[in-house]
Order: sequence, then structure tokens, then C-alpha cells
Amino acid sequence: MKDALLTLALGLAMGVTLSRIGFSSWDEVHAMFTFASLRMFLAFCGAVAVLAIAWPLIARAFPTRTQFRRRPIHPGTLAGGVIFGAGWALSGACPSIAMVQLGEGQLAAGWTLLGIFAGNWLYSAVHVRFFKWDAGSCLDD
Amino acid sequence: MALWSWWLSSFALAAVPIAHWLFLNRAVAVSGRYSALIDRIRFGAPRDGSGEMDQAALLEALRAQTAADFGDDAIEETEPSGESVDETIVRSPQGSIAHLLFLAGLALGGAASAMLAGSFSLRGGLNGDVFASVVGQLGIPAPVLLLFGGLCVGFGTRMAAGCTSGHGLCGVSQFQTGSLVATAAFFGAGVGTSFALGALQ
Repeated sequence: MKDALLTLALGLAMGVTLSRIGFSSWDEVHAMFTFASLRMFLAFCGAVAVLAIAWPLIARAFPTRTQFRRRPIHPGTLAGGVIFGAGWALSGACPSIAMVQLGEGQLAAGWTLLGIFAGNWLYSAVHVRFFKWDAGSCLDD
Repeated sequence: MALWSWWLSSFALAAVPIAHWLFLNRAVAVSGRYSALIDRIRFGAPRDGSGEMDQAALLEALRAQTAADFGDDAIEETEPSGESVDETIVRSPQGSIAHLLFLAGLALGGAASAMLAGSFSLRGGLNGDVFASVVGQLGIPAPVLLLFGGLCVGFGTRMAAGCTSGHGLCGVSQFQTGSLVATAAFFGAGVGTSFALGALQ
């Protein structure tokens, strides 16, 4: 129960944050990718820099806690990244953003969400047949 | 809606994975939640851990079997060495309900943000003048473009085993090779695709 409420609260906080940064705006995402505006690009790079400094400090503060597992690298890392990037530029949404857009009342994001579920399903179905590597999961690390 | 400055955005965006780690003991991994939900729908069987034995029960079962096969002497060496094992928090996978709650939270966050800005309204389309212009130039209906884009997002993130949150924020900030490759790939492809779309106008 506590875990459920925390998860909901963290989703909410992330939704507000992404909305106020501008990630839920197709035009803002387009401006980021065409370098017409550097604001969101700098926001992203700044967040990575803050995190890079924060992780070692957190690890020192909580030495007994489990560390992040490393993500696997395989041919799908590059190919999947390229396909995802193209989709992000077309739809203006990465996976969390489709939900944020819906919440803001941009109901057409429902199409994007449908596409994300269908695409995820499609890959999980074709992976076993066509690809040999262990896909890993982004979930548990 | 008034958007945050880049530096305020940086701190807020960094606070999300840190809060995740502190409160849920896991990295942010939005596409992983989609994957888990899809697996739940496809297989019914949980990736959510409810079918897994807990660590202590598993260890006890292994000990009992080892003792039965090889005698009690065999297991003495495997006794815990007195380290503070119980202080280590074992990460348990979250269930489908948690995934749905997180996604619902994202939508609620978007709604809260728009309402606080006084810009909340239900619209059939997607906001943005550039978007409208690009859709007009492409000559295909917006739902088709969004559905296709979403399809690429779902397919690509599952193939790369991560998205902007898991690879981009968490992985890159830990200098993980796979995440650096994935992030360079999706940013590069995003830039290329957006310039191609922009050239249409």
C-alpha cells in the first residue's frame, strides 16, 4: 500500500516536472531536436550532470543499499535507439510523455499511447523469432 | 503555460530519479513499466514477482535439498559469514497495479500542471502550431502520424531496453556504455527526423 501510494506520488511529481519543462509540447520537442531552442537540451544535460555528481554521494550515504544493475549492450541498443528517436521526433512523445499529454487534455496522445503499447508488444513478439541477444529489461535496475 | 528555465528544469529533472531511488529503491524506467504490462497481458504470468519465492525460503529449500543429497556436513561451509546481510535491501519487482498507478500518476501530473497554469482543456488534437503545420505539409492525418510515431517509440524502447528515463537520465549519469550508445542513437535519430520534418515547412 505504501509502495503503491509512493509510486503514484512519484509518477505525479514526474508528470508535473515534465509538463513544466515543456517535454509534453510537440513544438518544444521539435525546437530541442532542431536546436531552435537550447533550453530543454541544456535542461537534460544539466540533469545528467547533477545526477552524475549525486550518485556517488548517495552511494556513500547509503553504502548497504543495492546498487543499480548495469544495462546490457547488444545490437538492439543502437538499432532500438534509432527507431525510438525517430518515433519521438514524429509523435513528440517518449513513453512517459504520452501519459502527461493525455493528462493535459491533449487527447490525440491516445493514438501515441496505443502505438507505444502495440510497438512494445510487436517487438516482444518478434524478438524471440529474429534476434539472438538477451534483450534485458529496463525495469529492474 | 510558463515553462521553467533550463537550470530549474535540470534540478527538477534530476530530482525525479533521486526520489525514485530513495523511496522505491529503483531507477526510473518508464518503458520497462510498459514492457511489464505488455508481458502481463500476453502471458498472464507475472514478471511482478508474486510467483517468485522469497530469498530466505529459497535458501532454506536449497539447504534442505543439499542436506538430503549430501548429508549435513555439506552445508556447513555455506553458512552466512556474519556480514550484515539483512541490512541489504532486496529489490522486489513491482506489480502491474504499481505500473498502472505510476502511469496514472504521470497523467494526473500533466493535468495538475495544466490546471495550475489555467490552461487545462480537453482537445481532440495535439497542441502546437509547428505540429499543425508539419501535419498539413505531410498530408497525412495526425492520428496516423501519432500512431506510427508511437509504434516506433514502443518498438524501439523495448528493443533498446530503455528510454529517456532509464538510458538517458539514469544510465548516462552512471556512464554506462549501453546507455551512452542508446542515448546518442535516439538523440541523433530525433535530430535527423526533426530536421527532415522541418524541411517540409
